[in-house]
Amino acid sequence: MADEKPYTIDDVRREASRETEKAADVVKTIQLIVFKLGDEEYGLSIDMIKEVISTPNIARVPQTPDYVKGVANIRGNIITVLDLEQKFGLAKPEHHNIKQNFTLVLKSDEYKAGVLVRQVPGTLTVKESDIDLASGFIQYTNLDESSIIGVVKSGNRMIILIDMIRLIQIDNLQNISASIQPTKNTNNE
Amino acid sequence: MAKEEEYKELFLAEAQENHEQLNNLFTELEKDIASKTAVDAIFRITHTLKGNAMGMGFSAIAELSHVMEDIFNEVKTGRLKLDLLFFNSLFKANDTLGQLINSIQTGADVKYIGIKTKLEVALRNARQNTAAPVNENVQEQEQNISPTESVELAANLPFAIDATQQVEDESDYEGEDPAEQKITISDMVQVPVRKLDYLLNIIGELIIERDALIARHTDRGHKVSELARLQRITSDLQFGVMDIRLVQIGFLFSKFHRIVRDVAALENKKVDLVLEGTDIEIDRNILRIMSDSLVHLVRNSVSHGIESVEERMRLGKPETGKVTLTARSEKDTVYIHVTDDGKGIDVALIKRKALEKGIITPDFANIMDDDEVLMCLFEPGFSSAEKITEVSGRGVGMDVVKRAAESIGGRVLIQTELGKGSTFTLALPSSMAVKGALLFELQKQVFAIALNHTEAVISLQKHEIHKVSSGLASSYLGKTIPVFFLHDLFNLDNRIERDELYPYHHTFDRTDAFQKLDVVVVTHNNRLVGLVVDKLVQQKEIVEKTLSKPVDHIDLFSGATILGNGDVCLVLNIIGIISNLYKEKKTH
Repeated sequence: MADEKPYTIDDVRREASRETEKAADVVKTIQLIVFKLGDEEYGLSIDMIKEVISTPNIARVPQTPDYVKGVANIRGNIITVLDLEQKFGLAKPEHHNIKQNFTLVLKSDEYKAGVLVRQVPGTLTVKESDIDLASGFIQYTNLDESSIIGVVKSGNRMIILIDMIRLIQIDNLQNISASIQPTKNTNNE
Repeated sequence: MAKEEEYKELFLAEAQENHEQLNNLFTELEKDIASKTAVDAIFRITHTLKGNAMGMGFSAIAELSHVMEDIFNEVKTGRLKLDLLFFNSLFKANDTLGQLINSIQTGADVKYIGIKTKLEVALRNARQNTAAPVNENVQEQEQNISPTESVELAANLPFAIDATQQVEDESDYEGEDPAEQKITISDMVQVPVRKLDYLLNIIGELIIERDALIARHTDRGHKVSELARLQRITSDLQFGVMDIRLVQIGFLFSKFHRIVRDVAALENKKVDLVLEGTDIEIDRNILRIMSDSLVHLVRNSVSHGIESVEERMRLGKPETGKVTLTARSEKDTVYIHVTDDGKGIDVALIKRKALEKGIITPDFANIMDDDEVLMCLFEPGFSSAEKITEVSGRGVGMDVVKRAAESIGGRVLIQTELGKGSTFTLALPSSMAVKGALLFELQKQVFAIALNHTEAVISLQKHEIHKVSSGLASSYLGKTIPVFFLHDLFNLDNRIERDELYPYHHTFDRTDAFQKLDVVVVTHNNRLVGLVVDKLVQQKEIVEKTLSKPVDHIDLFSGATILGNGDVCLVLNIIGIISNLYKEKKTH
C-alpha cells in the first residue's frame, strides 16, 4: 500500500532537508545555548543542558560560597542553583534589582546543578571550525583555563564556551565540606 | 531447619530463572551461532548455577552445569565450534537441568548421567582434536565407543559408571513423553532496584501533594478526617513499596561462612560462625552500604578477637572460637551485633595508643569513661593491631565503618570484657526513606531535624542561658548541656573570618533579654546539645533525599526534603554536628 503512494512535494522537501543534513555532517556543527552573564555572552553545548525553566524558590544552603544560591525543587529532584555572574564577578550594580528569571538545568548523572540566567537563552549553531580553542589568552581572566573550551566568533559577537561540569569539578565546592571547627579555619586567613 | 527451607526456596527460584535464561540463550545462539554475548552469558549463568548448586549440595545439578560450563569455556576460547546438530544435545542437557531443578521440589528421580557423558565426550573430542569439527554427529561417536575407550571415559568421570549404564540412561531419557515438558513460571519476580527507587520517588511526591492538599483543606475550615481515607491509602502504598525493598538479612549473613573460614584458615584459628535473626528485614540499599563494613567487623573479630588455638587451650576456653552474627529489630532500628568470645579489648591499651597518636589530649584522657575510650577505635588513623595483617590491614578501617553507619543515620557501639570477648553493634535504620522530623524556622527558612535525634523541645529565656568560656550552656533536667544558636553554627566561617573572638556568643549578645527562645535538645552517643532556633513549626513525616553533587559534602546537612508547598527543606545532620563539636573539644 505504502509503495503506491505518489511522489509528493513533501517527499522532495524531506529529501532536500536530508541532503542539507548530510552536508551539515561534513562540516561538523555544534548547537549552543547562549546566555548573557554581565555584558558577556557565554555558551554551553546543547548536550550539556537538560532543560530551561523559570527559576523556582531556592532554599539557601549555609556554609557554601555566595555564588551557590542554594537548592531548589525541580520536578522532584533537588538541584543546586549557581550564580555564575557572582562567581566570575560580572554582576553590575544595576543588575541587582533584576530577578534572575531562568535556570539552565545541567544534564549530568553525577552533578545535579543549574545555572541562573536573566533572559531566555538563545540557541546558535556554529561550525566546529569557528571555535577558537582555549589558549593562552585566558590566563589573565577570572576563569580557570581548564573549564573554558574556547571562544566562538560569530559576526561581531564573541561567545565564551564553557564546560560547566568541569567548572564545578575544579571549583573548591567539594572542599568546603564546611567544617564547624573554627580552629581549622583560622589557618586559612 | 526452616532456614534451610528458605535457602532452598531462594535457590530454586534463582535456578529456575537461570534455566529459563539458558533456554532463551540457547535459542538465541541457535539462530545466530556466532553470538559472543550469548556464549558469554551462558558461560556465566552455568558457572553461577554450578556454584550455587554446589553450595546447596545438589551435586547432580552442579555436575551437569559444570560440564555445560566447560563446554562453553571451550566455545569461548574458540576450541570448540558449535554446530546445529550439537544444539539438540545442548537443549536436551538444559531440559535435564530443568528437570533436576524441579526434582528438588518433587523428589522425582531424574536421569542425567547419559546426557552429561554425551557432553563430556564432545568436550573431550574438542580438546583432543581442535581441528576436527565436533559436528560429525556426536550421536554416532557416542554409540561407537569402543570398550577401551569407555573405560578410559569412565575413569575420567568423577563417578565411574559403565557404558551400559549410560546407554540405559540415555534410552530412558529418549523415551520420555515430550508432553511432560511443562512450562514453569517462578513465583518470584525480579525487578531492577532502579525501578523501585523510581516508584518510591513518585510516592514521595504523592505524599507531598497529599500533605499540601490536606493543608489547603484544613485552611478552608474542613475537617482533616474528611481526607483520612486518602491519607491512609497513600501511607499504605508507601509502606507497601518500602516493604518490597526490604530483604532478609540472612542473605548477607550467609556469605560470612566463607569469609570466616578463610580468615580463620589464614591465621590458623578454629572459628565457628553462628547466625541469629536471619529473618530480620532491612532496606536493600542499607545492606548494600553496610556490607563492606560488616565484612570488616567480622574479619576483625576473627583476626583480633579470637585467640589462637594454643592460647585458648591455655585459658581453658573451648579450642574452637565462636563468632556470632545477630540481627534484631526494635521499632525502626535494626541492630546487627558481631560478637566474639575472644580476648576482649584492653581499654587501657586503647587509651595509651590514642594518646600516642594524638587523637586525645592528656587532659581529656583523665576524664574519659571507658565507652569514650572505645570510641577512639573509630577515629581515623587509629588501628589497635600491633602489626598490619593481611586480613584486617587491608580495605576499610574502623573509621570507615563508623562513617558508613552515620551516613545513613545509624551508629556503632562497642561492648567488651577483657578475656571474655567483644560485641560490635551496628544500629541501622530499617528503611531510609521515611522518617519523623521536627520542622523549624531559622531566618525565614524552614529546616528539619530527624525525630530520632531529638530528645526534647524546651523553651528558655535568655537569663537561663549562661556564657561558659567561649561557649554557652544551660540546664536541662538537672544536667548542664552546651547550647548553640544554630544561626551562629551556620555562619561560623564568616564570623571567624571577621575575627570575632567569640563566634558562639554572636546571636546571644544580640538577643533581647526577655525573649523566649525555642531550643531543640538533640542527642547522639548520649551527648546532649541544645540548638536555639527562631521558631518551631510542626512535626511531620518526611521523605529524605540525599543531596547530590556539588553540595553533597556539607557536614551540616544529611539531606533535604520537599515540603507541601514545593519548597526544598534541608535536613540537619545531627550526628555530624555533634561529633564535630565534640571532636573540637576533645583535641583542644
